[in-house]
Amino acid sequence: MVQTLKVRDAADVEGAIREAIAAEQPVDIVGHASKRDIGQPTEAATVIDLSALNAVTGYEPHELIVTVQAGAPVSDVISMLDAKNQQFAFEPMDTSVLLGTSSGAGTIGGMIAAGLAGSRRIRSGGVRDHLLGGKAVSGFGDTFVAGSRVVKNVTGYDISKLLAGSWGTLAALTEATIKLVPKAESQVTLVLRGLDDATANRAMTKALGSSFDVSSAAHLPVSETRAPGDALARLGAPVQALTLVRVEGIDVSVANRARSLAELLLPFGKAESVDTEASVEIWQALRDVVPFAATSPLGNHVVWRIVCPPTAGAVLGTALKRDTGGEVIYDWGGGLVWAALSPAADAHAATVRAHAAAAGGHAMLLRAPKEVRAAIDVFQPQAPGVAALSRRIKENFDPRHILNRGRMRRDDLP
Amino acid sequence: MTIKMPAPDEGILARRDEIIAALREIVPGEGVIDSEREMMPYESDALTAYRQPPMVVVLPDTTEQVAQVLKYCYDNGIRVVPRGNGTSLSGGSFPLADGVLLGLSKFKRVREIDFDNRVAVVEPGMTNLAVSEAVAHEGFYYAPDPSSQIACSIGGNIAENSGGVHSLKYGLTTNNVLGCEFVLITGEILRIGGRAPENDGYDLMGIITGSEGLLGVVTEITVRILKKPETARALMVGFAEVEAAGECVARIIGAGIIPGGMEMMDKDAIHAAEAFVKAGYPLDVEALLIIELDGPSIEVDELIRRVEAIALDCRSTTCQISNSEQERLLFWAGRKAAFPAVGRLSPDYLCMDGTIPRGKLPEALAGIRELGKKYGLRCANVFHAGDGNLHPLILYDANVADEMQRAEDFGADILRLCVKLGGVLSGEHGIGVEKRDLMPEMLSDIDLAHHQRIKCAFDAKGLLNPGKMFPTLHRCAELGRMHVHGGKLPFPDIPRF
Repeated sequence: MVQTLKVRDAADVEGAIREAIAAEQPVDIVGHASKRDIGQPTEAATVIDLSALNAVTGYEPHELIVTVQAGAPVSDVISMLDAKNQQFAFEPMDTSVLLGTSSGAGTIGGMIAAGLAGSRRIRSGGVRDHLLGGKAVSGFGDTFVAGSRVVKNVTGYDISKLLAGSWGTLAALTEATIKLVPKAESQVTLVLRGLDDATANRAMTKALGSSFDVSSAAHLPVSETRAPGDALARLGAPVQALTLVRVEGIDVSVANRARSLAELLLPFGKAESVDTEASVEIWQALRDVVPFAATSPLGNHVVWRIVCPPTAGAVLGTALKRDTGGEVIYDWGGGLVWAALSPAADAHAATVRAHAAAAGGHAMLLRAPKEVRAAIDVFQPQAPGVAALSRRIKENFDPRHILNRGRMRRDDLP
Repeated sequence: MTIKMPAPDEGILARRDEIIAALREIVPGEGVIDSEREMMPYESDALTAYRQPPMVVVLPDTTEQVAQVLKYCYDNGIRVVPRGNGTSLSGGSFPLADGVLLGLSKFKRVREIDFDNRVAVVEPGMTNLAVSEAVAHEGFYYAPDPSSQIACSIGGNIAENSGGVHSLKYGLTTNNVLGCEFVLITGEILRIGGRAPENDGYDLMGIITGSEGLLGVVTEITVRILKKPETARALMVGFAEVEAAGECVARIIGAGIIPGGMEMMDKDAIHAAEAFVKAGYPLDVEALLIIELDGPSIEVDELIRRVEAIALDCRSTTCQISNSEQERLLFWAGRKAAFPAVGRLSPDYLCMDGTIPRGKLPEALAGIRELGKKYGLRCANVFHAGDGNLHPLILYDANVADEMQRAEDFGADILRLCVKLGGVLSGEHGIGVEKRDLMPEMLSDIDLAHHQRIKCAFDAKGLLNPGKMFPTLHRCAELGRMHVHGGKLPFPDIPRF
């Protein structure tokens, strides 16, 4: 029987963690629990539910920062920022499409703990780049402050960076201050059709290496089974291969840069131009990996998220397709390869890891049944020295391995 | 000026000859410096008020040598202070009497440039500017640009998470570094990150960046490089009131415009800079903003128009727009030379470094003015207005009895003011020895304990750069076991500096 503690404030979080320490029993930290099916499965008897810590404690549009409690719904915060023409630069991924969970769920704490960024990451950085600071309760049961509320800070170690992407294994975040950016006045997506993966990779490299300030570049190969999603289907996916390049900014600049970029890309074909409204939908579909949606024909496939040097993307993706018969799509100019592979007890881990390693990258199993995730390493196994250092960090924040025990590493035991 | 550092270990000092001989085995030839005269250039960094010759200077030129030196020091309980080009303004590479000063100045090579993946792999002893110069032939550059970029090392930039004029739009060092080769005090060589846009596992690169040389020694760095914007133009806008300049900064950001740089100077700084470089700065204003817009020329032209309108709306009294590259550089020349320019006004000055929320600029400047009256000292202000990073320059004369002490007290009060306004003790120079004892002004004992636990994960014996950043020494084993409650100091018997 799992016990859920719905905390009301940060003091409650401290209390719950101190009790867990005293009982030497691990706890799972959740917000909306929208990402509980990601990572190694955990077996804690107690769940600390942070969803009631959902206040916006400070929004200063002129400072371009927002401070929110960890349980605040991401969708609500995004709507609030939208009203002031501001946004998170990193386009946080909504995992509900891929996992088949309720849409619109997900909290700020979960967004930071997972650190999953969308297509603009290649230009603007990820969650870790925009998290300025916060408050959290460590595995000592103490609330500590990480970072600050200003954009430039070299006062002690940048602990907030450690918390981003740590899947709640170092501390339970209770409040976060995040840097914002103005929303672009407009955006244009250029579409090239019919390129093979290698050629598309070269086109994306050329675009991203130009001075036209490209904010995203993705490639969707031809597929017979992949779900297109409405925005991509309107362009002809997945029957046709699409290479997509986005520019954003003030109106006059976007139009100008899109024209120049189309000229630059002429050797790869004549680019079509998609305007703001449709462009927004396209990149939202890519951010959430709609082509591999849980409800799609590939819904039963395992999904890997592989990050590699951008120019290595096509070689990696092509080899994976060849060796597994699966499907891939490319984002971040080739630096992010999403792979949907047929169901298998080991999720094709050895093949995926070998190709990722050859490309100088790393792979995480983002979607798979619980028993598959329990049987293999979901996160990238690390070199012994780095793994040992990471473990020492874990133990200096959570010596009894109380917090999300086993979520990132199968050998996570005190 | 003196500052209390960890007491030298007499046992180590007694073994000096033996230690030097062992280090010479690892780094042969001129790589080990032990004569008093030759060590003189190493007895301070850019915080020259503090001087202390190290026990010995070691200048390795391979990662393997760094690893062996660190392992030897670890095995023998010898303290190590890493040093890049010695430009730290907070005493980050201030030597220890019983310590090895480990200089990375021979690590000056470009290991690889990968334009297609938009990264450069460089060694930590290269200057910041040399990294940009190494990729300039293909129209690329490295965005973080601390004012000392001609001299400061890229390894030091990692230690201090350096910024510069461009950081408002293009981020700090932490946003522009993808990976590194890194040697722990045990001599273990680790590789973190690389050319992929994102790292796996805990963000170790994020914690190493800005760690002030307390966690390990970086021997190779992979940085992100960017294509140079098509054009850049600058506005020079004068205001009769500081408050109006502050409002202008807020309104520009509020309008969704992120300039390539946005810097402010107050009256004293303007006069000093103008006398020094003749940039054509207006002398009848209280505050001057230099705002640079970069990107495609059509975008820059449009943004110049918008910024000019906002400035007018904020009661600007003068506004000049650069019409040539030469003119743009002239606008910047005074700002870039502000420190030496102010140096001509007074025999000595103390350069402070704190950050405040952008919107608190007028309040901060008013507070600094009041403090100036209290301490009877002048203070010129230049700062990164776009990101709230202040650099008050406190003018004093060390030959006048108690002026140095008053300047230091004034500086500490400015930093306390920054914290009170919601800011931090350091924006880009680091804590080092300079601000070490002010850390409790911003961080509680519990906060500090969590910082120290990071140190323990990397360097359990506390041999790397001790005496910097933390006001109190801690023993890691006890820190790991303890439970801090109610903000009480856990180990009152451990000496505070």
